[in-house]
Amino acid sequence: MGLVFLKRLKGLVLPLVLLMVWEIASRQGRAYALTFIPIEKIGRSLIETILSGELLTNLLASLGTASTGLLIGGTVGLGLGSLMGLYPRVDKIIGPVFHSFRQVPLLGWIPLIGLWFGNGCLAKTLVVCLASFYPMVLNSYAGIRNVENNHLEVGRVLGASRWQTYRYILIPGALPFIFIGIYHALAFSWISTVGSELLFTAGPGLGGMMQTAQMAAKMDIVIICVASIGVVGLLMNVSLAKLSGHLLRWRSTR
Amino acid sequence: MGNLIHPDFKRSAKSLSGELSIQSLHKQYRLERNYLNVLENINLTILPGEFVSIVGPSGCGKSTILRLVVGLDSDFQGRILLDGKPITSTSTDRGIVFQDHRLFPWMTVWENIAFALVNSDLPSAEKRDIVSLNIKRVNLTGFANAYPHQLSGGMAQRAAIARALVNEPKILLLDEPLGALDALTRLYLQAELQRIWIQHRSTMIMVTHDVEEALFLGDRVVVMQANPGRIKRVVPVPLEHPRDRSSPLFHRLKDEILADLIDTDSTAEAKRAKSLALRSDLG
Repeated sequence: MGLVFLKRLKGLVLPLVLLMVWEIASRQGRAYALTFIPIEKIGRSLIETILSGELLTNLLASLGTASTGLLIGGTVGLGLGSLMGLYPRVDKIIGPVFHSFRQVPLLGWIPLIGLWFGNGCLAKTLVVCLASFYPMVLNSYAGIRNVENNHLEVGRVLGASRWQTYRYILIPGALPFIFIGIYHALAFSWISTVGSELLFTAGPGLGGMMQTAQMAAKMDIVIICVASIGVVGLLMNVSLAKLSGHLLRWRSTR
Repeated sequence: MGNLIHPDFKRSAKSLSGELSIQSLHKQYRLERNYLNVLENINLTILPGEFVSIVGPSGCGKSTILRLVVGLDSDFQGRILLDGKPITSTSTDRGIVFQDHRLFPWMTVWENIAFALVNSDLPSAEKRDIVSLNIKRVNLTGFANAYPHQLSGGMAQRAAIARALVNEPKILLLDEPLGALDALTRLYLQAELQRIWIQHRSTMIMVTHDVEEALFLGDRVVVMQANPGRIKRVVPVPLEHPRDRSSPLFHRLKDEILADLIDTDSTAEAKRAKSLALRSDLG
């Protein structure tokens, strides 16, 4: 037990060292204190933003955008990827369009999305949808194609319907790939949420909060936002790893 | 096992259905512009409750016959009738066990077996009973919640047998079911298969490379040859079950069948068949 605890602490060493370097830097004079805000001051602002509800409001808004986008983009992506994987005809018709759209970086869509959908909630959600859509299409396609024909034959022998085959053979068989897709989609959706909030500034969100703070030269708030984004991202990743560990427990651990 | 079973037990009341009739069956594969005769004029009638083994060199189409009978491939000429009705596609009245167990790795033993009942109208309590009965039948009690990767090859194959038996098929097809197992597990599972066959009383067809296995289990042994795949000879095995592998008749039949397998024309094919027969002799 004690050993496990010590091992966990190892991960804390580097952050603590960085914090110390930060603190030392902030004490090198007035000019330094403007860029390297003293930790104590950041702490005070943190409590302030928490108590005023400012941090929570913006955090929840960002989480809302990210999860809506992830859910819609991910589901549509899973559906399209499955269809393309199952039906070569769909792949032939949609594939080329999909792959050329995919080459356009997300930032490249921003001007058009802004023009068509304004710079509010809808535009942000749309960017996040796109961000999680691509990895889900690619990975569910690969996953479906990767399901062994042997297993599909068993489904045929047992008289499984098309839907039963999809639900009980194709989806579980593709699940390891689908989870890779979800991992990427989750990371991209969070990154693109913050990114789109920096660009489409209307409405609440951590990105917008950061932007406002930067313009008011409140570096402590900027740092709090950056840290929150990092911590939330980490928590998302950890919980997804737990979930995939459970759902993929049937795989032999090598 | 235990008690001696007389060859005529199969005429018991329960196994009146399950008669398979294969009539002038032909099958070709297309290789670019050429046609390859995989099966040529196969005629075989298998009685209800009978155990028929099929042996032959690689490429003689013996596994193809099973694929056609189970309904995975309907591209053939001729007729395949089960109890007088032509086979058109897959159906739960025909079960199959493949050489690789083909259990779904994402399902437990229980779930794998229960999946065979996915379209059954039985109430769920009854389904549960059937699944646990079949788990017991293949001696896997206690492993219901194990995932396939946690099982040995022999256990996984037994789970696959249970999955094939769950629907009480009229005919069970065994495609080299013990081919991938080690020699000891194989001997053990041969006895298990025989016990299941005796209890289950359905028609069974087993494809194998192992002449001894074919003789140990089969009421008749169908010897096939390749290029094109055809039946060379059908050997009745007039021995009571369970069979004594050391009996003189058993040995004589084994030698005869091995000679059959080796005795093809002196082409490259013959050499291949010979090495195969020798290998199955060792196996």
